[in-house]
Amino acid sequence: MTRERSTDDGEAGDDSDASGASENATRRGLLRAAAGATVAGAASTAGCLGVTTPADVAARSEVSGNVGHFVGPSWLADNREDTVVLDARDADRFREERVYRARRVPFDAITARESTEAGDAPDTDAIATAFGEIGVSPEDDVLVYGASVGSRVTRVAFALAAVGHEGEIRVLNGGLSAWNGRLGTGSRDGVSSTDYEPDPASSTWVTREWLADRVGTFNGDGPGLVDVRVPEAYLAAAGSDALNDDHDRHGHLPGAVDVHWVGNVAGRQMTEPGRLVRLYEVEAELDRGGTVVVYGDDNVDPTSTWLTLKAIGFEDVRLYDGGFGEWANVDSDRGRYPVETATNVVIETEGSVGGDDDGGDFSCTG
Amino acid sequence: MTADGHGSGAGTSADRVLAVPCEGDDLLALFALDTGARLGEVPVGSHPVHATTCRGRTVVATMGERAVTAVDPDGEVTRIETGVLGPSHFATANGELYVSCSAGDALAVIDPEGLTLVDRVAVGAEPHEIAVAPDGDRLYSGSRREGVVDVVDTERRERIGAIDAGPGVRVQGVALSPDGDRGYAVDQRGARVIAFDPGGDVGGDAASAEPVHTEAAVGADPYDLVATEDRVFVPGRGDGVVHELGRNLEPIVVHEGFSRPVELFEIAGDWWVLDAGAARLRSLDGAVVETPAPGLVATPVGGGRLAVSHYDDDRVSLVDVESGTVWTADTPAYPFGSVVV
Repeated sequence: MTRERSTDDGEAGDDSDASGASENATRRGLLRAAAGATVAGAASTAGCLGVTTPADVAARSEVSGNVGHFVGPSWLADNREDTVVLDARDADRFREERVYRARRVPFDAITARESTEAGDAPDTDAIATAFGEIGVSPEDDVLVYGASVGSRVTRVAFALAAVGHEGEIRVLNGGLSAWNGRLGTGSRDGVSSTDYEPDPASSTWVTREWLADRVGTFNGDGPGLVDVRVPEAYLAAAGSDALNDDHDRHGHLPGAVDVHWVGNVAGRQMTEPGRLVRLYEVEAELDRGGTVVVYGDDNVDPTSTWLTLKAIGFEDVRLYDGGFGEWANVDSDRGRYPVETATNVVIETEGSVGGDDDGGDFSCTG
Repeated sequence: MTADGHGSGAGTSADRVLAVPCEGDDLLALFALDTGARLGEVPVGSHPVHATTCRGRTVVATMGERAVTAVDPDGEVTRIETGVLGPSHFATANGELYVSCSAGDALAVIDPEGLTLVDRVAVGAEPHEIAVAPDGDRLYSGSRREGVVDVVDTERRERIGAIDAGPGVRVQGVALSPDGDRGYAVDQRGARVIAFDPGGDVGGDAASAEPVHTEAAVGADPYDLVATEDRVFVPGRGDGVVHELGRNLEPIVVHEGFSRPVELFEIAGDWWVLDAGAARLRSLDGAVVETPAPGLVATPVGGGRLAVSHYDDDRVSLVDVESGTVWTADTPAYPFGSVVV
């Protein structure tokens, strides 16, 4: 490298110590000027400039305390060779940049449902096939990441649990931006497919009939029930954009408590665990030792709450995979599947989801 | 609301009890009807608002619950799950007790003998008042959210259609004429009343049924109504008037000068108006009976008398339209729709 020197200070070509001292003084002068110290009456801004390095971002995403499933980037760095890394984002972002050797999850396939007499349920055959196509085996320890820790990421974690995945399932707190290790780009790295044989874990979900049999007991004598949608949808607020035009009815399942799922996420990271415990145990009054069912309009967003509750120690958390979209549109005997439009049990949340995935589709941010 | 002050609770037995749901204290307060003596109170669950009697039991609608409460003659209290929040109004049809679950979209159907939920009938969201056809084969439920009157076949316990009262309508009161040939529904939001054909073919969806005969404007903020053979009375709470209309809603007279009229009762041949904004009953002919406080709800008890719940004053009174107040008694908070047992 050629060292460039100023010629204005009369020291060109001079390598002496005196010359070095002069250069230092010149640099100091520049730094003072940049800090405003040479401007009479101006306050210094030195020390107020925000400088962030990838290491800082990674450090902020580390996970401490007794939290399951969520890990920080240092964990991934230490376990990279022993972990199958799955990218939950869309194809364009995957091609642009990803964790080196990550495999992109075919997202539509892992949200597949099958229709049963009891109602919609995860199509575990289709989901297992999708994981097999990207080379995942049931015993692999898996880490899932996205742009943040939004519901695309947690849906992948749920899908793995639903097919009875034997290996560990983890999520990268902070998403891709927290990772300061090696990156990959371009077309997907070639992987050999596997024959993923599902072992359906039906205790991870419930069906419409399971819920209908328990109407009137939720958050009382029966299971906990959490509606993860915005309060306007939960309360069927007249004229609200939050109401899904495809639904015959609006409101919520009787007795459900509303905790909007974005409260689980702060920017690109999971919300501080102590806050989550307060939110769900104190404010929503859920019993961590009992069964808790979560649902939303679809089967993606509520998985955020599904994984969050498991991460903070809830023992039996289940997803209503059919969601309010199924419940509200049953075509017969609707008295068995009533909805409520009024209640005061709305828990205020403050979350926000970073990541800018999926062209602004807020509900599918990963 | 009733149009017959003579029949309900008829009898002069001195041991009759006035049971008053008190919404603010979750109690059913009991009073001796003839003296007003406080006989006790029964915890019945959150926000009791209306009570009825059925098969010897007193049943209380507890709006803050997903259940109603039944009290046996021997004092046993039974909770009957509805599964849906907001039980408010009762109706008996085909030997079963229907209760509107006003925070949901269902009518709960209760076996009054076994005290069990036997079914739920899906109706328009936020059902409130219920009217039953004279022969009990059909039931009409007004939806406060969806602007329809749902028609329920009580034999099949099934919604067989709906009368669409128009866009943006909040259906509040629902009533049938005594012969069952004409139905009426109050549109609270639009300050109007509609007349519909309750026996019409509503076997299709709401859009295919066109049973609405006519409509009429009424006073502001109407809530309830009374239908007789040839008259329809609709109090307009917001502007202190009572519209008297013909069977086909043709205007007859607008009675003015009330403060906040809420209910009408036919007592001894006269129509008396309960006023939530004035401490009095006033007949449509101009007669006035002072009451201890304004009344929000009243129950005819026979003999020309009304049991008046003074909701905002935590009192209940027995009022005789000829001689004035017979007795008044303090109650737990927010006394509401009473029943004579």
